[in-house]
Amino acid sequence: MATMDMAARGDSAKVLSPAALQRIPAQLIFRVVTGIAALVTFGLIFVMLFFLVVYAYPAIRFNGLEFLTSSIWNIGNQYGSGVTTRNGFTGAPGASFGALVFIFGSIVSALLTMVISVPLSLAVALSLVYTVPRRIRPLANALVELMAGIPSVVYGLWGLVVLVPWIANAFGPFVTSKLGWIPFLGGQIGSGNGLIASVFILSLMVIPIMVATTRDVILSQSNSIFEASMALGSSSWQAMTRAVLPSVRAGVVASILLAFGRAIGETMAVLMVCGAAINVFPQNIFSPVNTIAAVIVSQLESALTDSTGMAQRSLAELACVLFVITLIINVIARGIMRGADRAEGRKS
Amino acid sequence: MRKMLALALAGLVVACAGGGGRAFAGTNLLETGSTLLYPLMNLWVADYQKEHGDVQITTQGTGSGTGISQAIAGVAQIGASDAYLADAQMKNSPMLNIPLAISAQQINYNVPGLNNVHLNLSGPVLAGIYSGAIKTWDDAKIKAINKQYASKLPHLDIVPVHRADGSGDTFIFTQYLSKSTPSWSNGPGYGTTISWPSVSSAVGANGNPGMVQTCQNTKGCVAYVGVSFLDQAHKAGLGYAALQNKSGKFVLPTPQNVGAAAAALDKHTPQDERISLVFAPGANSYPIINYEYAIVNPKQQDGAKAAELKKFLDWALTKGQNSKYLGAVHFLPLPGSVVKMSQAQVNKIK
Amino acid sequence: MSAGQVVHGTARSTHISRTWWGISAACLVAVIGLLFSIFAFVLVQGLPALKPSLFIEPTHGIAGGLANAIVGTLLLVAIGLVLVIVIGLGTAIWTVEFAPAWAKRAIRFMVDVLAGVPSIVVGYFLYVALVEEAGWGFSLIAGAMALAIFMLPYVVRAADVALTNVPKMLTEGAVALGARPAMVVASIAFPYALPGILTGLLVATGIGLGETAPLIYTAGWSNYMPTLHPTHSPVGYLTYVVWTYISQPFAESHRLAYAAAALLMIFIFATNLLARSFVEYKLNKHTSR
Repeated sequence: MATMDMAARGDSAKVLSPAALQRIPAQLIFRVVTGIAALVTFGLIFVMLFFLVVYAYPAIRFNGLEFLTSSIWNIGNQYGSGVTTRNGFTGAPGASFGALVFIFGSIVSALLTMVISVPLSLAVALSLVYTVPRRIRPLANALVELMAGIPSVVYGLWGLVVLVPWIANAFGPFVTSKLGWIPFLGGQIGSGNGLIASVFILSLMVIPIMVATTRDVILSQSNSIFEASMALGSSSWQAMTRAVLPSVRAGVVASILLAFGRAIGETMAVLMVCGAAINVFPQNIFSPVNTIAAVIVSQLESALTDSTGMAQRSLAELACVLFVITLIINVIARGIMRGADRAEGRKS
Repeated sequence: MRKMLALALAGLVVACAGGGGRAFAGTNLLETGSTLLYPLMNLWVADYQKEHGDVQITTQGTGSGTGISQAIAGVAQIGASDAYLADAQMKNSPMLNIPLAISAQQINYNVPGLNNVHLNLSGPVLAGIYSGAIKTWDDAKIKAINKQYASKLPHLDIVPVHRADGSGDTFIFTQYLSKSTPSWSNGPGYGTTISWPSVSSAVGANGNPGMVQTCQNTKGCVAYVGVSFLDQAHKAGLGYAALQNKSGKFVLPTPQNVGAAAAALDKHTPQDERISLVFAPGANSYPIINYEYAIVNPKQQDGAKAAELKKFLDWALTKGQNSKYLGAVHFLPLPGSVVKMSQAQVNKIK
Repeated sequence: MSAGQVVHGTARSTHISRTWWGISAACLVAVIGLLFSIFAFVLVQGLPALKPSLFIEPTHGIAGGLANAIVGTLLLVAIGLVLVIVIGLGTAIWTVEFAPAWAKRAIRFMVDVLAGVPSIVVGYFLYVALVEEAGWGFSLIAGAMALAIFMLPYVVRAADVALTNVPKMLTEGAVALGARPAMVVASIAFPYALPGILTGLLVATGIGLGETAPLIYTAGWSNYMPTLHPTHSPVGYLTYVVWTYISQPFAESHRLAYAAAALLMIFIFATNLLARSFVEYKLNKHTSR
């Protein structure tokens, strides 16, 4: 992680012996080739972001702040006459693009997913490392990794055929009748497609990823911390949660981040179970919702028919918003990780 | 490292082999677009291929919007669409709108006890449901047009289901609402995707199968579904409504009633064949029917492709009108006069 | 602190400890059970439809075989992997071995952000840039590039972590003996980190095999066997079959969709087992030394 510093090694390599000089070209090529690869990775985001922002610019001007404050998404009357012009840019007559419903849906579904999946994943990872008998551990690990690879369309398929009817016919009625007095847990259940279906599917999708990464960082930590803590009289659970886990906090935060990124950007599976709400906010956990990623797929098709192109550019603006949200999340998490490192007094 | 390098090299060889690889000797055509037309295209292409081994036709069910835009971009040769191009689109990119068959749309519902009969529904009532004014199945406005079932209509919340993806089905459904209900026409209007009124119980579903599935899962639902999914909707135990047509009569989407609507408008079909068949006049005309279009660029970049394209479209308009293809998806053949117009358009392809 | 207190505290905390371990084991069983039921659901639906003819015939309109989609999926992922191995490993090596501290931070940050880019955005970006603007049409290369971009962060992260976790003792020892960084990477750090890197490539392969959204607008779809032309020739792939054939009003289309889903799972399972046995083998070699 960020605590490692390899610069020292580079410095020592600068002291060159005559024999080493002959190897410089190979050195240099290696350095340059890997450097170019790094540049490509680094630049990719900028190229995409630059492209999207330039592409979305007319929409940014056309929509103004309304994009973030309005909840009405209307690509305008494609078969009508005339155009709507704002700030010198034109859209179809009646067009207005407010993305608040989708932004809200993305953030709420990803956050709720974290509420369910973080504790579960930690428990599963700890269990994999400690409880599972050594003999069946490879099997359990293989299963988790296998699950990480189930394609999102397959999750979506299962969600549609199994999960959604279960929510509509069993889970929903149970929750509304027993826990309906809690805000957002009562009321209409609808078709089962909605916020809670998305959250369940997303949780199932990110748990294997989070488990695999968390397990790896725990295993990468040497046994000595665990054993030292045990020797000091801690129980095995205390040793694990109070000594080992904090020592790999940065790695765990990173894995949660990856999972959050996956949850907020997941497209196909959410698209298949979210209920694709438009122009309306969820009333409870069963209400249809929509996310930025899902709406980009489901609206792209109709946006392509907008002869003014404004609908397409507004979708690009949505993509930019998703970019910015991921950026903000990453900045915050980086701060947390660096803070954690400093608190532990580890030099970077 | 060596292994990785070997792996990388092996991959590169594959990639390079791709560059110099042999290509199919014949011509490739790409059809993409409407999911409603997709099953029919597949039936057509399978048989066409048997007669014409020298052409490969790839079919894709992506949605009408994609079909239109990819045909304009020249990525696909045939853009399948349930909707004709708007004037604004025609101005930017003049394309041919060639009808290939006639399709209809049924209104499905899931009301326990009433799925085996055909409830009556009208444009204004559907507009009321989709805008949130009519909230339950025992609403007075629904009872008024279903006198024989008035006592059986339950006090059940209505869940209006609409398409989440852009769709020709949304286009013709909202056109029906617009033509029958002034307040809808002045409000949400019509299009392949529209800004649906905020109704908190409303659900968006993907594709026709999503509409059927959602409706099956949801008591109280109402959904508009393409007629090629009639069998599926029936299997799902859903009812379908008799719709009020322009002359006030409630009619079912039977081949006779769909044919009556088509016959009422075939003489009005203009040379460019861009016309809505929705809400056609006539006592027995079913109100939601449409032409299924092939959107084609008249100026093809590749002469060989243009020739094969014309051959295939011509086949679709003649042998393809056989009921063994159209019947399987509940489509109707084009009237003879419309076939002639379509053929004239096909001949414009260069 | 007296001895008695320690004993008392330990006894109580052991009890609590057991309870917590029990809860987490229950979570493990529940999660694996649930995930396994998804797996079983797809196999139960799909295996009966897996006939030998599926592997020979290409798909046609409403059903047919899966030969084109199988070959297409493998080609797309193979080429995507080549791209991602070159770029991803290069990035990780440079980041760990050569980058100044600020560049390390910057690249890791960008990789995190890249992992959060929704697949449809990547697909849409490449559609406009390559398929339309560059005029490549739906093509093998555009599809493979979309997959590569999507797999990249997973590979870079895994390789980065694996290389960073190589004990300093090993590499510093080698440097002290006069080895150059390239030598150190190739002969010491890389073999040591290989299991971790392979796991990353594995996760990436799984993601590549199962991805749909970025391919719809880049690889397109084709009913025919891939022509191996890098451009202007759409490619079929398995996820497309799952996504669209389930939407057809025909029972045989549904069977094909389930068959494709089952096949995908089997591919992913096989890749996993293969790489896993390799990883175990490597680990054993390390520990036995």
